[in-house]
Parts: sequence; C-alpha cells; structure tokens
Amino acid sequence: MSDAPASPCGGGGGGSHESGEHSPRSNFREQDRFLPIANISRIMKKALPPNGKIAKDAKETVQECVSEFISFVTSEASDKCQREKRKTINGDDLLWAMTTLGFEEYIDPLKVYLAAYREGDSKGSAKGGDASAKRDVYQSPNGQVAHQGSFSQGVNYTNS
Amino acid sequence: MEDSIGGSSSNDNNIIKEQDRLLPIANVGRLMKQILPQNAKISKEAKETMQECVSEFISFVTSEASEKCRKERRKTVNGDDICWALATLGFDDYAEPMRRKSRTKIQEASTNQNDLC
Repeated sequence: MSDAPASPCGGGGGGSHESGEHSPRSNFREQDRFLPIANISRIMKKALPPNGKIAKDAKETVQECVSEFISFVTSEASDKCQREKRKTINGDDLLWAMTTLGFEEYIDPLKVYLAAYREGDSKGSAKGGDASAKRDVYQSPNGQVAHQGSFSQGVNYTNS
Repeated sequence: MEDSIGGSSSNDNNIIKEQDRLLPIANVGRLMKQILPQNAKISKEAKETMQECVSEFISFVTSEASEKCRKERRKTVNGDDICWALATLGFDDYAEPMRRKSRTKIQEASTNQNDLC
C-alpha cells in the first residue's frame, strides 16, 4: 500500500544534499515544509543497533515531528524577541524558549556548545572550535552516556 | 577508532561530518522563518543552535523507539513506535497529531499547521 498521496517526490528520498532554494516542482513544496528525509534517516540510524531497520513511515513521522519542533521553539523565541522589541533571534533566545517549553534536559549541552561556538567565532578557527565544541557537547550529557551504557548491557539481556 | 579531527583536517572532511551529524542549515533556517513575523531576523548562531537541538531530538526519540523494538524482538522501527516514544518521553502534544495524521491520509495531504500549533 502506497503512503504517498500522488506526490512525485522521487528526489525527496535521494541522498543528494540539495541547497538550492528555488525549484518549480512539488519538490520545492516538500522542501519548504520538511527537512530532507535522507539526513533524518542518517541521524536516526545512529541511535539504532547495527541490525536495526527503519520503516518509511517512521522516517516520515520523525520528519513531521522535527518540523513541528522547530516551529514550536522558534515561535516561543520570537514572542520573547517581540516583547523585548528586538528583530534578531539569537542562540540564547532559543535556549530560553526550550526551558520555557519544558526541554530543560537539552540546555546544558547546548550552553556548552554555544560558549565554544562564540569563542571560535573568528573565521580562521571556527571549524576547529565547532568541531571540538560538538565533541564536548556529545560527551557532556550524563544521560546520554548512561543510555549508551544501558544499550550495551541490553545486548546481553535476552529474556524480556 | 574513528578518524579524529586534527588541526589540519581538510574542509571536505569537516563538511562531510557536518552533513552526517546535522540537518542542513538552510532548510532549518527556512522552517524557522516560516513561523516568524516578516521583519524578524535569525542570527547564524540561532540557526546552528537549532541544528543541534533537532539532531538531539531525533536521536532521543529514535533511541526510545529502538528500545521498544528490542524488547519486542523486532528489527524494524515503524511510525507507531515513534508515536509511542513521543508519548513515553512526554511529547504528548506531538503524539496525538501524529496519530490523527496516521488515520486520515487526506487530512495529511492538506496539512493544517495552525491546528498543530
């Protein structure tokens, strides 16, 4: 049974990384509404065991969730900027919005990321700074380390 | 051992790793823009922060769904597993619209973003 309601998104599922902003196809509409499904799939794969598979509807579900998540957080940050009569949303506004909306768990890793991002703001060392920052971010959250620990322990746990 | 990022690593490697880890910043920026008033601007820092948020969100939800599949001895994560994970992790507001969309394909075709908000 086909899920797609007669939309020719052959390019949508492809692995190409399109940064073109103007396309007269329905593909443009798809790009406008969602993030590329191939990239989403790649990120999802990293959270799965090596033999895990992802159904197409799971990818599409996450695709929609992610767009909604971005709109949700951005909208909250935008309200704050309007109250303070500022036109430009910055990283701190997003962190504030996430705290307000109940995503406290994300804040600590992101603060680490933001601090390192700002330190490495000069163009020459921006890449290096970003790279090391992202690595730090990835190691900081204890929850994630614990999760990975339980994940490896789970391999031995066969009687569920 | 994975390739460690040294000071002299080429831009291509960095770009590839960036693509692997995060979603494209242009697409993220576009989605953010859609929800903003017309005269609002988004700093690059905000876009990159959102890139991080989104990747983390995907990993978070997918890990939870994967754990459920493991317990049930299934290899393939499907849409229902994602909806279940969202509800389990406290994203109930997301789970319900997803279930509704699963039921009515026609409604999905004409997405009402306002309803979701």
